[in-house]
Amino acid sequence: MDTEAGEKKILEFLEKKSKSKSKFYLKDFNALFPEDKPRAVKNLANDMVKKEILEYWSSGSTTLYGKKGAGKQAAAEHED
Amino acid sequence: MAFISSGYNPDKPMENRITDIGPKKYDEFYPPIIKANKGKWKYHEILEPGVLVHVSETGDKVFTVRCGGARLMSITHIREMCDIADKHCGGHLRFTTRNNIEFMTDSLDKANALKQDLESRKFAGGSFKFPVGGTGAGITNIVHTQGWIHCHTPATDASGPVKAAMDVLFDDFKSMRLPAHLRVSLACCLNMCGAVHCSDIAILGYHRKPPMLDHEYLDKMCEIPLAIAACPTAAIKPAKVELPNGKTVKSVAVKNERCMFCGNCYTMCPSMPLADDVGDGIVLMVGGKVSNRISAPKFSKVVVAFIPNEAPRWPTTTATIKKIVDIYAKDANKYERLGEWAERIGWERFFDKCEIDFTHHLIDDFRDPAYYTWRQTTQFKF
Amino acid sequence: MAKHATPLLDQLESGPWPSFVSDLKQEAEVRAKNEKGVEYQIPQDVCDDLLGVMELSFKQGRTHWKHGGIVGVFGYGGGVIGRYCDQPEMFPGVAHFHTMRINQPGGKFYNTKFLRELCDLWDLRGSGLTNMHGSTGDIVLLGTTTPQLEEIFHTITHDMNQDLGGSGSNLRTPADCIGAARCEYACYDTQALCYDLTMEYQDELHRPAFPYKFKFKFDGCPNCCVASIARSDMSFIGTWKDDIRIDEKAVAAYVGGEIPPNAGAHSGRDWGKFNIVKEVIDLCPTKCMRYEGGKLSINTKECTRCMHCINVMPQALRIGNDRGVSILVGAKAPILDGAQMGSLLVPFIKVEEPYDEIKEVIEAIWDWWMEEGKNRERLGELIKRQGFQKLLEATGIKPMPQHVKEPRSNPYIFWKEEEVDGGWQRDINEFRKHHQR
Repeated sequence: MDTEAGEKKILEFLEKKSKSKSKFYLKDFNALFPEDKPRAVKNLANDMVKKEILEYWSSGSTTLYGKKGAGKQAAAEHED
Repeated sequence: MAFISSGYNPDKPMENRITDIGPKKYDEFYPPIIKANKGKWKYHEILEPGVLVHVSETGDKVFTVRCGGARLMSITHIREMCDIADKHCGGHLRFTTRNNIEFMTDSLDKANALKQDLESRKFAGGSFKFPVGGTGAGITNIVHTQGWIHCHTPATDASGPVKAAMDVLFDDFKSMRLPAHLRVSLACCLNMCGAVHCSDIAILGYHRKPPMLDHEYLDKMCEIPLAIAACPTAAIKPAKVELPNGKTVKSVAVKNERCMFCGNCYTMCPSMPLADDVGDGIVLMVGGKVSNRISAPKFSKVVVAFIPNEAPRWPTTTATIKKIVDIYAKDANKYERLGEWAERIGWERFFDKCEIDFTHHLIDDFRDPAYYTWRQTTQFKF
Repeated sequence: MAKHATPLLDQLESGPWPSFVSDLKQEAEVRAKNEKGVEYQIPQDVCDDLLGVMELSFKQGRTHWKHGGIVGVFGYGGGVIGRYCDQPEMFPGVAHFHTMRINQPGGKFYNTKFLRELCDLWDLRGSGLTNMHGSTGDIVLLGTTTPQLEEIFHTITHDMNQDLGGSGSNLRTPADCIGAARCEYACYDTQALCYDLTMEYQDELHRPAFPYKFKFKFDGCPNCCVASIARSDMSFIGTWKDDIRIDEKAVAAYVGGEIPPNAGAHSGRDWGKFNIVKEVIDLCPTKCMRYEGGKLSINTKECTRCMHCINVMPQALRIGNDRGVSILVGAKAPILDGAQMGSLLVPFIKVEEPYDEIKEVIEAIWDWWMEEGKNRERLGELIKRQGFQKLLEATGIKPMPQHVKEPRSNPYIFWKEEEVDGGWQRDINEFRKHHQR
């Protein structure tokens, strides 16, 4: 997978959806990359967290991804 | 107090960062006698409640003193355990899967001294710090979840009912009079962080009221699609709601009759709380096991649909449990687990003997497996 | 003088069982006095305020915690659970009260040096309260503030050579029984396998990889002391294939009443004289045992290794020598579609370093689940939805009667085209030559 193109695709997807929600499951990203193995998509998304482009949001039992700083959770949890 | 840095630089989180190193390797912590005899153990014996000996092919013996404890423990308490381990056990100790503490020594004399030391220690309030027991055909420590001490969706407390139940069951922690061992577990809501669904007796917190909706704040605090997606039964849908002040806001509507009271929506959306003093309480489930001994592992079955939360000591819950334990102890055959006993005498007889009312709540109506729990035979007892 | 009156909690100080209330009060007092002069990095009265908020919950019958999903340590998707008090003005000491999960060592063996280091760290940077241990197996450090999370992580990784555990859609911290370290029933080294897989899959443990949580647990024998069969997506249960080793002399000693049966586990009550026929032979689920002329024999081929006879006479009977592990998959608690027990996938596999055969099974299952699993669908639910056959296909394991309790009782087999001679493409005109319309 081309990392730069992959990152762009994920960011475009997040941008497009940003009006309704800011957090997504890994599976939602998989759909963007029908040619690639889920493992490759997982690695891409996790690397984007390391690069501080994305951040995790955990329900405790599951983990979601969102653009860093996006969404209402930070304010609701007083972590802004 | 002044902030003390560990050496971490928040401006450069990746600088000198160490990750993915895993836990300490197990054998760093083995007491010498364990290290020397690992894989060579020949047999074991429970010498008295809470005291075990394991005998090795090499002739070595390790004596273990097991004691109970609240799994919620302070560092002052842990440091006291460390003092005990330093004094008696060369600085080694371990914990069991069921939150017991085990101290090991290499002679019976040392084990007896250790036992005496452990039994002599009490908290200021009068309870034992390290009661010795929890072995064999008795009741060991209750595994449990967080409850009101730390969880956001509990339907009951955990540490409180566990303390109350263990006080009532204490004699069976200290003795081995039961037909087989009996495992009690507690989970404070149906999500069951502590998987209690295969316990001889499971104490389960349960909500009975759907979430409340804080319409004015919901769209400000939460992302509505996430709240909707969180619902396992698809009971939540988006809605426009008119507030008392005439303003219309985006919010959600809950189809209450579909709600299974799991609290997953509250996790995603703090504007949908479901805790309620009257709605919340305890379900009792019995007859589960995980061991493959004689019969296959089994799930616990619901025998009491609801008991209100009665803080601080949950008397109805603990009395019901005590009664089930005592009748099982009297009635079951040697080696028979609680669930095996109930199956042998028949569940209709179980309700009879334990004097528990059978209500419609106890008949399964959740999805396909329900049918397999109804009676498809003319064989039953009057 | 306690900061908050706790009349309800105080009632949990009496009674014999160790009182968590007494312990919390003890910690509150130690912090208030601070005889060691610790420069507490979170509020000194954190335990007082925790007692206060607990008392309020006991009074009202409701929790006062809110979930937080953002906090964590950088680059990790798990290991930290965010918690906030919903009465922060009343109880400022616990306004933030996050949990950290620390990956416990195998068999939960410790030395006091490590525990003391951990206590010192948690004294300085946390509430001083822990769970030893959480349900999954981790050491749970209960209650700290957001700015301390990275500091704690820095200290445990740099100074203690210790990592966090898992949470969220990660591999959860694997857990094992005491195994060969101190148990004669262990059919494999649970700690070695648990540790190896934990290290191999560090990325999966710390960063979300899956549709939902995934748990490994390791039981050394079918007694299942860590309950792997009930609560792990992949359950590794020790077993053996050859004869149970019999020491006839010891059998005679049990029969003669010289050794207490069941390793003394029933000594609290007079059950009468030990009766080997009634207590062992007749309770054997497969009736593969005989006791004739003072001699015990077992028909190994018919034995299902339930462990009852071994548990009753541990000095006389020992597990076989040809040992390995059975792998069962898909166990979970009831949420959502009902509880599931693990289903047998691999009846027997040798447990030998570097465990490649076992890893092949694991990775094949993950690949299938990552591809096919829906959001928040546990492995067991995927197996139920797509069928056990799909699991066999994904893992390349051949179907065998051991996989089922009984064969299906409906004939609705979804035949595949390639399984039927000549396939499904037929010529209707050829058919009509012999059958009128």
